[in-house]
Amino acid sequence: MRPRLILAAVPGARPARPAAPLALRALAQPPLPAAPSAGELWAALHLPGLTSHEVLAQLALALQRFTPRVSLEPPDGLLLEVQGSLHLFAGLSGLRAQLAHACRQQQLALVLAFAPTPRAALTAARAGKSLQITDRAKLTGQLAPLPLAALRWPPETCERLARLGVRTVGAVLRLPRAGFARRFGAAQLTMLDELTGRTAQVRATFRPRERFRRRRELLYELEDHGRLHAALAPLFKALDDFLTARQCGVVELECRLLHRQSPPTRCVLALAAPCTNAARLAELLDEHLQAIVLPEPVRACELRADAPLPYQAGAHGLWQPGEHGGEAGAQAGELIERLRARLGSEAVHGLAVRDGHRPERAWEVTAPPPVVPPRRTAAAAGQERRPLWILPAPQPLTVQGGLPRRGGPLRLVSEPERIESGWWDEGEIARDYYRALDIHGVRLWVFRERSAPHGWFLHGIFG
Amino acid sequence: MAGGDPKLARLLEHPAIWRGRSAARKSGLSTGFAALDELLPDKGWPRTGLIEILVSRFGSGELSLLLPALAALTRTAAARWCIWVAPPLMPFAPALVRRGVVLERVAVVGGARPVWAFEQTLGSGACDAVLAWAARPRLRELRRLQLAAERGRTLGVLFRPRHVARESSAAVLRLALEPRPNGARITLLKGRSARRDALDLSLEDEPTCVRA
Repeated sequence: MRPRLILAAVPGARPARPAAPLALRALAQPPLPAAPSAGELWAALHLPGLTSHEVLAQLALALQRFTPRVSLEPPDGLLLEVQGSLHLFAGLSGLRAQLAHACRQQQLALVLAFAPTPRAALTAARAGKSLQITDRAKLTGQLAPLPLAALRWPPETCERLARLGVRTVGAVLRLPRAGFARRFGAAQLTMLDELTGRTAQVRATFRPRERFRRRRELLYELEDHGRLHAALAPLFKALDDFLTARQCGVVELECRLLHRQSPPTRCVLALAAPCTNAARLAELLDEHLQAIVLPEPVRACELRADAPLPYQAGAHGLWQPGEHGGEAGAQAGELIERLRARLGSEAVHGLAVRDGHRPERAWEVTAPPPVVPPRRTAAAAGQERRPLWILPAPQPLTVQGGLPRRGGPLRLVSEPERIESGWWDEGEIARDYYRALDIHGVRLWVFRERSAPHGWFLHGIFG
Repeated sequence: MAGGDPKLARLLEHPAIWRGRSAARKSGLSTGFAALDELLPDKGWPRTGLIEILVSRFGSGELSLLLPALAALTRTAAARWCIWVAPPLMPFAPALVRRGVVLERVAVVGGARPVWAFEQTLGSGACDAVLAWAARPRLRELRRLQLAAERGRTLGVLFRPRHVARESSAAVLRLALEPRPNGARITLLKGRSARRDALDLSLEDEPTCVRA
């Protein structure tokens, strides 16, 4: 028996034909004789004067209750495929009223048009005509009087067409196809084909940004941090499932602890890179919670991750860090985050050398070093001997007979090294640096001011 | 008892036979001082584990003693980090560069809760070496630190005051260091080595960095 594919079991139903991906469509020669828009009805919402993408996305979200197929047409248009929803909203007129109501609630002006192809509906709406075209046969005729400007073609194209005496959609549709494509570009011809339904237009369906919000009411009030960890565990389990299912990671996680009277205690976890591992998030949050003082017992807790990011798993090394030269990749990032969670973000830092002769300005604190070791290492600068430890600020030494003391007399063991610099900014210095030994044999780096009081200062320890 | 059996002893000398003791034969990390390498059990610093350096006064040369090995560690191809936990003063970056340390591998962790931070860094596996300054960790904590160092395959160096030499410690190696006019006197307090006599090292002329 020949295998047969039953396309539709319901009499009268049309076989569903999924739109081919764009790449495939481009490859297919000649273009598929497609009429996938058959049986579709598109509602176009033109919102004159709207520029904010946020508002558009917000409205798209609100309109998703009419149909799952909502797509954005920035900056001021929205397209809804409503054929399947008509019977739910009392037909075309009922749907029109409800859509208008939804836009009024957001205080947006609206021109609403219906047509079997998305581009036709949009063009009509942008022309300011509330057309209601349900019959494909009448599509071209209804579109004909619309002005060309509603297509939003480049101004020079419209101008050239106007010089030819072509000012309406109907006139442009009457032009010979081959000549039109040659003169005005294939893109414009495709657009016209989409307008009349000759070619299907693939519309990307609007997807709202997903977010994770879960709350757990506790059976009894909690006071100590240890139990809080257990109370949050189911929420983290849910977060783990959420992230795994969506292949997402979070960079910011908020935990809210709700109390009977006081405002909720908030605890925000900010990460350097998207994290997919809920167990690790729980561990980091625990560190944060340890530092929080609860004003009242906790009645409920809530986890929020508002902006999950797509996560691309990196390749991991075969060797563990430390064996056979295995690199420390993930461990290093995790370590930094754990230390910062407990000690504060400024507690971990790197060091760098700066150009300059003044010891105070010869170095700086930087962000923690990168995880991957640098390929090229800078050659050691041929500097003078410098102490391994530097004091945050020079420390005055007591002086006896013109010589410095620290617990006892210091013995200067080197020739002076003069550092005189910085006259161009605030930090001018003029000093003679010496290496000195104190009575215990500790090597110090001291200097004598060249200016008036000629004070002695301790500035470093050789260590 | 088989210990006295000469035939068995000869059999056990066969190179194909692995015995637990032979696992301990590993090469250390050269200190950059030939005399000190001779003194230390593994002919250098151990690559993994906790060591303690006891000094009577801060700045007696304990860092100079360690720096050649640190510089070599940071210059290896797959170098992990070298983290300084709760240093009493800020390490002076130009001096570190002069001694051959690659600063891109160095990070400093602030002073609050040094023992906790030390344990985290040791156990993370992200570091080749961790230096820490903590005056009074308890014996239990020292044991945890030693375990963390083994878990992370990290060399942990703990600097402590000289007077704690009498307390017991879980470190694999303990050195005491006293300043001398041109260097330091080093005494091995704990560690598998035949020699217990003090060693005078000259730290005055900065040693050239050992290549890893």
